[in-house]
Amino acid sequence: MTQKNDPMNVSVTEAEETLAAIQTIAQKTRYAIASGGTYITLIVTGVVWLVGFLSTQFLSGAIVASIWIGMSIVGSMAGILLGTRLGKRVRNPSFNATAKRAGIFWLLLVLYAVAALALARPTDGKQVTAFIILFIMIGQLAMGLLISFDAVWWALPITALALIGYFLLPGIFYLWMGVLGGGGMIAFGLYIRARW
Amino acid sequence: MAELNETIHQPVRLRIMAALVTLEAGNEVDFTYLRELLEVTDGNLGAHLHKLEDAGYIAVNKVFVERKPRTYVSATSEGRKVFKEHVTALESILKCK
Repeated sequence: MTQKNDPMNVSVTEAEETLAAIQTIAQKTRYAIASGGTYITLIVTGVVWLVGFLSTQFLSGAIVASIWIGMSIVGSMAGILLGTRLGKRVRNPSFNATAKRAGIFWLLLVLYAVAALALARPTDGKQVTAFIILFIMIGQLAMGLLISFDAVWWALPITALALIGYFLLPGIFYLWMGVLGGGGMIAFGLYIRARW
Repeated sequence: MAELNETIHQPVRLRIMAALVTLEAGNEVDFTYLRELLEVTDGNLGAHLHKLEDAGYIAVNKVFVERKPRTYVSATSEGRKVFKEHVTALESILKCK
């Protein structure tokens, strides 16, 4: 049953308090729900990058590839498990169709990245790494713009870091990406988590 | 002119609606998660959701996820419209001071 009141029955103070309460809960909800996926993605990706890039900087040989593969598998599994847990809190009944499209998009993006690498024929590991980072960030930006705007804001500084590291600090590019890229993502993720 | 809505103006229901309209249209939130977010009891939240559902402002969707029953709640388009009007009415009170 809906009843309507005369606005005059509510005092200015009560109106102020009510609006403040609305703003508080809206902010809390937005933060808790919208940032949930972002902080998990940031921390998981940050750990993978930190360990992977530091090993690339300081180690050599097959062990580096093994570390990257191992970290990527662990990171993907953690992302899926945490994402599934989060998905139970807030869901969109029409999300399955979107998720399928997103999956196809990432698959095509990988194929395009492979094609671009085959055409450009990068001469060293740094170029390959920079290419891969750019493609991942393009995907992240697309997901952010299409699904949730949260992914947009952190993909841009990571892209900038990769370009700065590649062009200005080639000698410590992997260290740069590991500490500032991976560490930065972890720090941002923890910051978002702490503010919630 | 927008008017205050007594159903929504009740503090717990107001916070429920504020949380639900913050979600993107089409999204629904788990009952347990909403309870934690609003820091209310099961019974309290259930009673207020019932009133909002009766008014047509929210939709309650009971489903099975991994063989366990779960209740999801979302704001209806009518609920979003009425909540917006309620906020506009509150703002108009401030403007009149």
